[in-house]
Amino acid sequence: MPKFSAHRACDDFHETRRAITRRQMIGRSVGAGLSVYMAANTPLGRILEAAEASAAGAPNAPVLVSVFLPGGCDLLSTLAPVQQAGKLADLRGKIVRNDMVALPGESRIVAHPSLATGLNGGIAGLFGQGKIGFLPGIDYTNPDLSHFHSRHFWETGLVTDKAAPGWLGRWLDRHGVKDNPLQGMSLNGGLSPVLESGKAPVAAISSPGDAQLYMTGLWGDQARQANETWANLGKASSSSRPGPRAASEAVRLTAKVANQLAPYQDKDGKPAPALVPRVAYPEDNNFAESLAHLAGMLSLPLGVRIATIDAPGDFDTHDNQPKELEEALAGVSAGLAAFQADLEARGLADRVLTLVWSEFGRRPEANDSNGTDHGAGGVAWVQGTRALGGVLSEYPDLGRLDRQGNLGVTLDFRRVYSSLLEQWLGTGADEVIPRAGSFGRLKLVA
Amino acid sequence: MAWSEAHVRRLFWRAGFGATPHEARKFAKAGKAATIEWLLNGERGGHALTGHEPRPGGKKLDPLNVWGHDTLWWLDRMVRTRRPLDEKMTLFWSDHFATTDQEAPLMLAQNRLFRESGLGSFRKLLGHVTRDPAMQLFLSLANSDKRSPNENYARELMELFTIGGGYTERDVRNAARALTGWEAKWSKKGFRGIRFNDERYDQGTKTLLGRSGHFGTDDVLDIVVAHHRHAPFLTRKLWDFFISRPPDRATAMRLARVYRQSKHQIKPVVGEILAHPALYADLRAPDMVKSPLVFVAGHLRIAGGKVDSDAWPWLLSQMGQQPFRPPSVAGWEWGPAWLTTNSVRSRFVAVNYLLDEKRGSLKVRKGAGDPEAASGDAVEAALAALGHPWISSATRERLVGLAHRWYADMTKPWQEKQRPDRADMLQRALRHLILSGPDAQLH
Repeated sequence: MPKFSAHRACDDFHETRRAITRRQMIGRSVGAGLSVYMAANTPLGRILEAAEASAAGAPNAPVLVSVFLPGGCDLLSTLAPVQQAGKLADLRGKIVRNDMVALPGESRIVAHPSLATGLNGGIAGLFGQGKIGFLPGIDYTNPDLSHFHSRHFWETGLVTDKAAPGWLGRWLDRHGVKDNPLQGMSLNGGLSPVLESGKAPVAAISSPGDAQLYMTGLWGDQARQANETWANLGKASSSSRPGPRAASEAVRLTAKVANQLAPYQDKDGKPAPALVPRVAYPEDNNFAESLAHLAGMLSLPLGVRIATIDAPGDFDTHDNQPKELEEALAGVSAGLAAFQADLEARGLADRVLTLVWSEFGRRPEANDSNGTDHGAGGVAWVQGTRALGGVLSEYPDLGRLDRQGNLGVTLDFRRVYSSLLEQWLGTGADEVIPRAGSFGRLKLVA
Repeated sequence: MAWSEAHVRRLFWRAGFGATPHEARKFAKAGKAATIEWLLNGERGGHALTGHEPRPGGKKLDPLNVWGHDTLWWLDRMVRTRRPLDEKMTLFWSDHFATTDQEAPLMLAQNRLFRESGLGSFRKLLGHVTRDPAMQLFLSLANSDKRSPNENYARELMELFTIGGGYTERDVRNAARALTGWEAKWSKKGFRGIRFNDERYDQGTKTLLGRSGHFGTDDVLDIVVAHHRHAPFLTRKLWDFFISRPPDRATAMRLARVYRQSKHQIKPVVGEILAHPALYADLRAPDMVKSPLVFVAGHLRIAGGKVDSDAWPWLLSQMGQQPFRPPSVAGWEWGPAWLTTNSVRSRFVAVNYLLDEKRGSLKVRKGAGDPEAASGDAVEAALAALGHPWISSATRERLVGLAHRWYADMTKPWQEKQRPDRADMLQRALRHLILSGPDAQLH
């Protein structure tokens, strides 16, 4: 066997905004127009009071979690149509699995065996409990098969190459608060384009126990003074240029996040009690670890409303699809099943809804590298105790492929966005999605 | 335009990794034209690095075999190079032709290609990149077969490498057919190379961007480079790498014209950009965000530090830019996007590593602080120790204020003997604040 792992194609697209926005973006949400009132020397209690006040204002406010499967997840291997098995075998040959698993109470489709990975039978088990609503065939008319373009459309909720804040960032602009960056939280280190906002502060964070700032070789009151000065340097610039503004705002926000999370930092290598998961998460799975942090933070009065996270693994399965997809879906299923169980154990489940999505689907016909190329008609799902369970959209017909040999689109993603805005976040869809009325609505919340 | 050390510093940050105090003085005297000439064409023997090779973590650099040493090896080149522009262009191309996930020998070979060809003919470079094993394996061009052409390389070739738009799905499919025939050879020992296999090449007629023929790989490359979108696309990307404000229309057109007239040579375009007044705008208010690699390499370079820590691979990864590992084929996102609450915290931590009392490359030694120094002098001393990085007057005011309050609690006579330690601590605080504050993130 060659020493090289089979190369992975255009993988690791954890962020896609580059191609479209790298030339056009003017300013970023981390910063633009944000004013933080709390100086670093504000007593800690006051800061927490303020964070708690923003949480206390709406203690049961719904939380939306956006989980992105990067690369374009294949619908036909994730959820296979039972009645079209013959056609699928003709198109796909050896990459079709013969060990798909039945979904409780559902006769029309079967699931990838990896979706049964995790607590309580994984995603398949949650489906049986009515906590998953699958959305096969989701996409938009005239699908664009470029990762960058399609991802940008999903991130912004706008099918245009124009640079724009993310759809959930726009929601925070309208319905968020102006002084709590934790209201919109990216868990991948970088800020998810979904959360890019015009003016609402948002945060990118990997681990709450790890957000503190210490200058080496400083201690006592001098250390405190130096840290205060650092936070104040973030208030010095009056430049309106995007670079200087980003540098100041990022310093200011970083200081603020560190302050907000100070009571939750690790002590002696152990997480703060509130952050200890209530269920066993899978090990060696960064995605699951981040979800565990998120569940912990949701249990605290931090005012989190929107969270975004990228799934691990490579869904851009140009090559070696059977192995790649098996691993990727198993990681997603195990992580999300543990997250769901943790939320339920913490009594938070009824206020958290998760949307899982990918930028497009894959072509029905396999390629010559044991994989599939970019295609239309993808897969998404909503998850949660309040999600409407079942298969909520029409499964595309393999007998009616489009001229490029791709699946037909049976559900516009903007219909899902509009429905979530109204049914879950309880606000008007038109405020965020232009011409929301034209996309109709789909019942997603039970 | 008067030519000053501030101009040299700006130019060297943008075209390289900062100017040492010596370089700033020397090239301020040499003048603008001579400085740009030196950056573009270097001097005889200029490819040798300055000084001695560092031993990060006490070990000899072994980029081929030791994990993380590829990063340290390249970082060291950025710090010690006498051809800073070549090194900066290597970074540019490793972003433009972003490749990841391939084994060290292939990635290092690709890195050498970028260094050697980064200022030459784009068409030649594109030909090499298209045949480059790391790229071929990454974007599935290797083993793309006429029976089922893989569209991956064809798509990125047009979208990210050459024209950026103006093509259809049909063009992608036809280009993919024309690019078939490349085959990766393997043996028990591993990868043996890429070769062309006529049997796997689609000999049929292809229609690509409005032209038809029995196109093969080089025809595709000729067609995309000749496409009317290519010159504006590439020259704009080069401009954006060096200058944050968009070019005016006349400048954009001139760059594209210079590029076309030189038959797609990179050097004349970069020369135009480096000489453009826009690069020197607002010398007292830099407005480009330093990428993590530029930040680390540049501050080591101007302060005379070395790559002697082996923590840089993971620190750079936390800051969001691990060399040889761009996040995707689209490369890194440059500009304000480098700065999130998480990555700023990582830069803060990185500065701890730079200044660490025992192992730091820019360590603050015992006795570094003068207990009798006036507040302003303490700030000047910190700046001098760091190679005179730029700070704004507002920042300077705050730092002086901190220095001014620093000893305020030492009112008792018995505290006098703690003053030297306190003075060292002030230097640590000031240097940290200079490097981790907003100003040092800009160039």
